[in-house]
Amino acid sequence: MQRLLDFIEHNLHLILFAVLQLGCAFLIFGLNPFQQAAFTNMLSGITSSSNQISADITSYLGLKEENRLLQDQVASQFKRSDIGTVRYMNDTIAIKDSSKQTLYDITPAEVIYNTSYKAKNVFIINKGTLHGISKNMGVISSEGLAGVVLKAGKEYSTVMSLLNTNMTVIPNINGQEYYTKLEWDNKIPNTMKVSGINKLEEIEVGDVVQTGKSSLLFPEGIKIGEVLELNEVENSQYFNTRIKTATNFRNLDYVYVVINKQAQILEELLEE
Amino acid sequence: MRGLYWIFVIAFQVFILNHLDLSVYLVPQAFILLLIRLNLGNSRIIQIIVAASLGLLIDLFTATPGIHTSACLWLIVIRMRLLSNQDLKEHITNKRPYNISVTTTSQYLYTLVTLVLFYHLYIFWLESIGAVNPLKLLSTVLFSSTLALMIIGIFEYLSISKSRV
Repeated sequence: MQRLLDFIEHNLHLILFAVLQLGCAFLIFGLNPFQQAAFTNMLSGITSSSNQISADITSYLGLKEENRLLQDQVASQFKRSDIGTVRYMNDTIAIKDSSKQTLYDITPAEVIYNTSYKAKNVFIINKGTLHGISKNMGVISSEGLAGVVLKAGKEYSTVMSLLNTNMTVIPNINGQEYYTKLEWDNKIPNTMKVSGINKLEEIEVGDVVQTGKSSLLFPEGIKIGEVLELNEVENSQYFNTRIKTATNFRNLDYVYVVINKQAQILEELLEE
Repeated sequence: MRGLYWIFVIAFQVFILNHLDLSVYLVPQAFILLLIRLNLGNSRIIQIIVAASLGLLIDLFTATPGIHTSACLWLIVIRMRLLSNQDLKEHITNKRPYNISVTTTSQYLYTLVTLVLFYHLYIFWLESIGAVNPLKLLSTVLFSSTLALMIIGIFEYLSISKSRV
C-alpha cells in the first residue's frame, strides 16, 4: 500500500497530465466539428474492421459444424443416387414405383490422424463399431477413393490409406477393368503406379481411373484418380503408368465409410 | 511585472499573430515562449496546471477547444524531459526563468527549436486530422515555426536588453 502511495505521489504530475489530456480529447473530438467528423470516421473504420474480424472468427469456428452438416448432406445424396443400387425387374403385379434398393450405406467420419509420407500410410477416423464400422469396409473422400478399414475399435477405426504399399486396387479405365495392380510405390506424393497395361490399349494421359465391379468394398464408379504418365518401356509391351490420386492425402479431413449392407450374403455366395 | 509580460505576450498572440493573414502557411504560435521560459524551480504539478490553463485561454480566443490545451500539456512534459538532461541545479534553486543565460547557447537553441517545431507540428496535425496533406502540413510547420522562432528571438532579445539596463 505504501509503495502504491509512493508511486502515485512520485508520478502525480503524469497522472494529472493523463487526466487533463483525456479532458482535451473530449473537448477536441466533442466540440470541434471537423475533428469530431474525423474521429467518427475513424471509429466507424475501427468498428467495421473489428466486426469483420469477429465475423471471420465466428465463421471459422462455425466451419466444423458446417462441415458436419455438409458431410451429412453428401451422405444423404449418396444414398439417394444411383451409385451402388441394385435394380429389380417389375413383375406383373403392380408394386411400388420405387423399384431400387441401395446396396451401400454411407457414414461420415472425421480424420483425426493421418500420414502420407510413409511406405505404409494409415489414418484414424472418429467412427468405430459403435457406428456400424467393421474391418474391410471401403473409405472414400469427397474427391475419391481413400482406403479400407484395417481395424475397427469401439469409437475409432484405423484405415489403410490408398498410399500404403499393402493396398492394391483393380483399376477401371474408360469403362474397362484391368486386372493388374494399382499400388503405392512410395515415390511421388499422391501418385500411384500401375504396371501391366498393354501398349495397345487406348489409354491417354488424363483418363479417369475408377473403381469397377470387381470389389464389394466400393460401389462402381468411385474415382481413384487420373492417368498422369504413360511411359513406354523399351523391349516391353507394357506401359509404365502413373496415376494421380483423386484424394489429396496431405489434406484429408473428412471421409465417408462405405458400408455394404449385403456384404455377408454376397461373400457367402462368392464362397459357394 | 511578470504578469504584464504574460498579458502582453498573450495579447500579441491573440490579437496580432492570429490575425496576420499573411498566408495559410504562416500561423506562428509565439506565446509558447511563456511556457518555454517558465521558472525552473516550479513543481511539476504547477507546470502542468499552468500549461493547461494557458492552453485553455488560447483555445477560448481561437475557438479550438482542447487543441492548444493538449499541445501545451505535451510541450511542458517534453520540456521537463529536455531540461532534465541539462545542468540547471543552481538556477532551479534560484527559481530563474529558463532562457539563454541559464544554459549554453546550443542547449538553449536545441530546446527552443525542438519545442517550437513539436508544438506547430502537433497543432497543425490535430487541426487537419482526418485529411492530412503531408506536404502542406510540413510546409506550414516549417514556415510557421521559423516565424515563431524569429518572434521569440526578438522577445528574448528585448527581455535580456531590458534586464541589463
